Amino acid sequence: MSDTLSRRDFLKLATLGSAAAAALTGCGTAARYVKRQPYSDMPEYTLPGQSTFYATTCQDCAAGCGLIVRTVEGRALKVEGNPNHPVSRGRTCARAQAALQGLYNPDRVIGPQMQAQRGSGAFGPINWETAITVVKDALQKTPPAEIAFLTGLAPDHVFDLVSELTAALGAPPPLRYGALGMFEARHTLAQAAAAVFGTPGLPVFDLAGAQVVFSFGANFAETWLSPVAYQRAFGEMRQTQDPLHSRGYLVQFEARMSLTAASADEWVPVTPGSEGILAQAFARLLVDPAADIAAAAQAAGVSEERLLRLAGIFARAERKLALPGGAALAQSNGLETAQAILALNVLAGNLGQPGGVQFWLAPAVGQDGGAASFGEIKDLVDRMNKGQVKTLFIHGVNPLFELPQALGFAQALENVSQVISFASFFNETAAQSNYLLPDHTPFEAWGYQRTSSGGEQGTLSSIQPVVTPLYDTKSSVDVLLAAFQLLGDETAPRLPYRDEVAYLQQAVAKLVQQGASFTSNDPALFWTQWLQQGGWWSSAAAAVNGAVPPGLTVPPPEYHGAGEFYLLPFPHPHLGDGAGANRPWLQETPDPMTTVMWDSWVEINPQTADRLGLKDDDVVQVVSPVGSVNAVVYRYPAIRPDTVAIPFGQGHTELGRYAQGRGANPLDLLSLRRNAAGDLAFAAVKVDLRPTGLTRKLARFEDRVGVYGDGKK
Amino acid sequence: MAVEAKHLALHHSDGEENLREQLMFDPKPRKEMNAMVMEAMQTADLKYWTVVAILAGLVATCLLGAWGYMIVVGMGVAGINRPVFWGLFISNFVFWIGISHAGTFVSAILRVFKAEFRRPFTRAAELMTTFGLAAGATYPLIHLGRVWTFYYMIPAPNQRGLWPNFHSPLEWDLVAITTYLLGSTMYLFLPLIPDLAMARDNSTGWRYQLYRFLALGWRGTETEWRHLTTAIKIFAWTIIPVMFSVHTIVSWDFAVSMTPGWHSTIFGPFFIAGAVFSGVSAVAMVLFIIRISMVNMDYFIRAEHFDGLGKLVLIFSFVWAYFYFNEFMVEWYGGEAAHHNVMDFITKGPNAWLWYVMLICNIVIPWLTLWSGKVRRTPWMMFVIGVVINIGMYIERVVIVPITLSRGRFPFDWGEYTPRVEILISIGSLSLFLLLYALASRVIPLIPVWEVQEGQEAHSLKKIGKTEVPSVIDVE
Amino acid sequence: MEESHGKWGMVIDLDRCNGCQACVTACSLENNIPATGYDNASYGRGMHWMRIIRTWEGEYPDIKANFQPVMCQQCGRAPCEPVCPVFATQHSQAEEINLQVYNRCIGTRYCANNCPYTARVFNWFDWEHPEPMNYYLNPDVTVRGRGVMEKCTFCVQRIRRGEETAKAQGRGVQDGEVQPACAQVCPTNAIVFGDFSDPESRVSQLASTQRSARLEESLGTQPRVVYLQSLL
Repeated sequence: MSDTLSRRDFLKLATLGSAAAAALTGCGTAARYVKRQPYSDMPEYTLPGQSTFYATTCQDCAAGCGLIVRTVEGRALKVEGNPNHPVSRGRTCARAQAALQGLYNPDRVIGPQMQAQRGSGAFGPINWETAITVVKDALQKTPPAEIAFLTGLAPDHVFDLVSELTAALGAPPPLRYGALGMFEARHTLAQAAAAVFGTPGLPVFDLAGAQVVFSFGANFAETWLSPVAYQRAFGEMRQTQDPLHSRGYLVQFEARMSLTAASADEWVPVTPGSEGILAQAFARLLVDPAADIAAAAQAAGVSEERLLRLAGIFARAERKLALPGGAALAQSNGLETAQAILALNVLAGNLGQPGGVQFWLAPAVGQDGGAASFGEIKDLVDRMNKGQVKTLFIHGVNPLFELPQALGFAQALENVSQVISFASFFNETAAQSNYLLPDHTPFEAWGYQRTSSGGEQGTLSSIQPVVTPLYDTKSSVDVLLAAFQLLGDETAPRLPYRDEVAYLQQAVAKLVQQGASFTSNDPALFWTQWLQQGGWWSSAAAAVNGAVPPGLTVPPPEYHGAGEFYLLPFPHPHLGDGAGANRPWLQETPDPMTTVMWDSWVEINPQTADRLGLKDDDVVQVVSPVGSVNAVVYRYPAIRPDTVAIPFGQGHTELGRYAQGRGANPLDLLSLRRNAAGDLAFAAVKVDLRPTGLTRKLARFEDRVGVYGDGKK
Repeated sequence: MAVEAKHLALHHSDGEENLREQLMFDPKPRKEMNAMVMEAMQTADLKYWTVVAILAGLVATCLLGAWGYMIVVGMGVAGINRPVFWGLFISNFVFWIGISHAGTFVSAILRVFKAEFRRPFTRAAELMTTFGLAAGATYPLIHLGRVWTFYYMIPAPNQRGLWPNFHSPLEWDLVAITTYLLGSTMYLFLPLIPDLAMARDNSTGWRYQLYRFLALGWRGTETEWRHLTTAIKIFAWTIIPVMFSVHTIVSWDFAVSMTPGWHSTIFGPFFIAGAVFSGVSAVAMVLFIIRISMVNMDYFIRAEHFDGLGKLVLIFSFVWAYFYFNEFMVEWYGGEAAHHNVMDFITKGPNAWLWYVMLICNIVIPWLTLWSGKVRRTPWMMFVIGVVINIGMYIERVVIVPITLSRGRFPFDWGEYTPRVEILISIGSLSLFLLLYALASRVIPLIPVWEVQEGQEAHSLKKIGKTEVPSVIDVE
Repeated sequence: MEESHGKWGMVIDLDRCNGCQACVTACSLENNIPATGYDNASYGRGMHWMRIIRTWEGEYPDIKANFQPVMCQQCGRAPCEPVCPVFATQHSQAEEINLQVYNRCIGTRYCANNCPYTARVFNWFDWEHPEPMNYYLNPDVTVRGRGVMEKCTFCVQRIRRGEETAKAQGRGVQDGEVQPACAQVCPTNAIVFGDFSDPESRVSQLASTQRSARLEESLGTQPRVVYLQSLL
């Protein structure tokens, strides 16, 4: 917004565009360039009892759902979905609801700090001038090749700016990583999409339009790609308004009944790693109904009759869809599995069709190279170990929690002379940093996020402050830009942005030409509308053409370790990548399947548990070839007897009063086996269970006796 | 139904000893009896004061202290939760209200039916009513989440026009218990007047002042006696329906609800039977303690009193068992799944041992022992049986309240209950009852001397069927 | 303008519901419901106004999980109401729902015992909202102290606001204008809220389908929440 647009003018403009029921405001309490008004003209957000609503974007996972935050008198009160936003259409998940408990978390970092001895915990406050000088010195004195940036999974403006910054310095580009990306095997999916469709990037699956959906471990009801968008689509698929559309049928193939499988029409417990083989079998049956699938049935541990029946359902459906889920891709044969599942879509002839695979046109802002593969992270760790990284900037990710212990990130960190963390919370990685320069939390910050992993349209979702920053925090983009300006006349002009908002405005201005949900030739008005609507979106879809990769065969899965059980770590539906663990209501909201609160657990089939003499609430040691964790037994009736599952999200050693010292982190069990795309094969470890003789009562919402008849005997 | 009294000569040889004892045929002069009662009342040795001190300490810490802590911190310090919103507090409430029944039952009903053996211990039983109510009536307050607003229940006109809800059984409770407390206190006080006057005439110092005040200037004139006996008669008759109504209303707390296991039409008489059952056995316990702990009491409280109470206990054990299994039978036959779940849980769940202990205490032991006159006439055995029955009846209330509540209609929401601060408060209120009784035993003449004397002087036998029972010609 | 009041009600489509629990979290944040912590939550003291009852059917491998969100059913003939000695739980004549009057509640918890749906929760303690967590507390909803009962209100504050807004604009409340937090958040659009007195409203339309049923209907409570049975 330019200096000349007053708040009054803005309001006039806003009324023109406010079609939504809520009075959306594009210009918040933290707006930067607003002309001063007489004191007697009170801003609308100070009126007692009146709510002001701001559109922004959820940043608790990479899906980028549009939100509207209700504020009264400068306090954010409630998160609601943005009804116009193509990803969420007015809906949100539990994590977005609890986002306010991040903003108003009592354990936030309240100002810039440093510690002389890393890991000592002896942080002392510094001021922002010092902090910016520190960043400047780091950028100036470290050889560009020895600077590394690690950013969160979301393709947002921080990633774009850091990309520009590293390019300007000649440093290696930033790496986007997050545990959820690992659990979705995003990189594998993108690679497979490139192989099958020729288009790198994440495909969008039109669940709403499909009649029969085969989901190979795609847990979209929990965290997969864009959970709200896919859940919305699931609801539509089930009970559509369209009278000619028959009720959709969802079949879920996975070893453990996830929440998605629980709401599916059929759950097929298949051997972990056999999903690709199954997909190929279905593909063969689609071409030749008499094909021999005995080997696939054998590999999956499912009867041939059942497979034939399912294949019949799939073949008969007019609009059919196959979803490649994370656990299926996180196997030694993950890339081939992903290709086989996408190829099944090609054979189903659904590309670009309703109820099929689509690609949205990405907004012409920033360069989205996709999420880093696990291999790229491993390369970074190797460089760190060799002393080739002198300064490491970490933003939006908590690698000490979100990476397997076996990777040795903690040890590698010791070879990095300077670690600068931008964390808003005192997490495990922040505790090991030299400088902790807290960024604003999402509701205090500016920004944008590209969302292309789900939803109805390609989107550049807007992020604007809904409240003034609570503490002495500073936008990381501002810090980086301010430090960059100090680099001298030769370097500084390479990033010609006065501050974060100027950076965003020039980025958004690029969309003026692209046309879409709203158009305006006036950049200022365009910017205002962009903020007010919650983003820019376009329903222009990219053309999808695909072919089954020739000679595609899915090799049998290989597992690491000689343990008795397949280990299936899965992201906790509410805690996500673990950053949600400090939100008390995410802890207190029962896990949908087990109703466990405030803890983590290991799911064991009751038959197996009986054989091992394990009762509910017994603590067992789960031992993998690389490590072990202790977890509490939950006798889970819907998991294969040869599989155990542990949720990811708990097991924090830092992160404040609500998160610390609860449960266990299953990533400690994972070895470093990767699939052909370089992603971690997290579901390819075999483990053993060792009873410890201890018990710890799980906080369950359900009653053990009433549901399972425990204690009756 | 007044019984036609027939005067018979006293020359029956069989059981003459027995009859002699029943009618206390070893009369003592009034003066001597007065002195005995006064002595009993005024004897307070170190042992007594030690007991009182301990009880007072328990009341201060366990009842007042723990309750105060709970008020300040919140109900969460108790073990109640969702779905067991009522726990031992309500069990205790029902238990104490039950205990309080026996006093009136024994005193008023036996008085109305002119059962002679009642005479020496009516006072002791009536005191039990009052103090049992004192202990029981605290529980509706204790269990309130916001006890500081308990007065919202009182139908007091106020400018906001707020009125309590007379549809609520809890409101009925308030009215019934208040009525019963007032009525039974009056009923305790009326026959006490001549004894207070006696105490006034036999004491000095503060006791004299106290009794002079309490005796309301009783002189023992003909008119006074006539008024007193009329008043006692009226109260004895009216307190009986009040007594029945109170425990019926307590049972309605449960019976009018929709909760499986509570929703039962038989709860009214069933609760009455249980209350009298536990109360009468508690009278036996109290009599035993009085007899061994106070001087001169073995003259007034004799084996035949225990014998009479033992018969009553046995009868009420039958009645209770009938109602209990009747209720069970109807619920079982009703076949509603939610009710069956509750019954299964009670009889087969992890707490089923409570149910079996209850059956043993309430049925097996009384039925095996109380047939024997020898057992009934042995005070310490009656004491032990009283303890056993009261344990059984306490368990019954525990089964009815928290254990039933933990099995709601949705198995997903079933719960478990572990008492926490309730245990302290229960000990505290038991101590309160004992403390009040201990203090009263040294202030109030525990034996209604005038009634005993009346019995001794105007005795006779009457024949009911083939049995001869002692009877009395009314003074008037 | 004529005063007309809605018979507010809810339809929950169990075929759409996938049990994700977003409604539970949304409800808690809208209504200032505190999180109670591990100890209390594991001892049945969680303050969840709504819960999702998950039931199992069958045995592995032919096992099925069913989800049913249950909150206060806003009974037309509510068992909680007659048993309260002080009228703290009351039938609102305007909204035709059950209200809990926190200031009047003395904490007998009888209403909770008598609720066939176990829909009520009790404030066992003064729950903590450590600074600055109290900043997000909704000023339209009372923050309850220890010793009072509470339950789902159908987000009555939103109903009131919707009605007042409509009245100020001289019109009736439109279908879908008022949404409680759970219906608003529901990702699968399984929860629909509206006016049963209007036969054209979405809830009326949905409730008239063959799939509709009410919970524990045989008790005669006349619940205002209609469940559409799952087709699984």
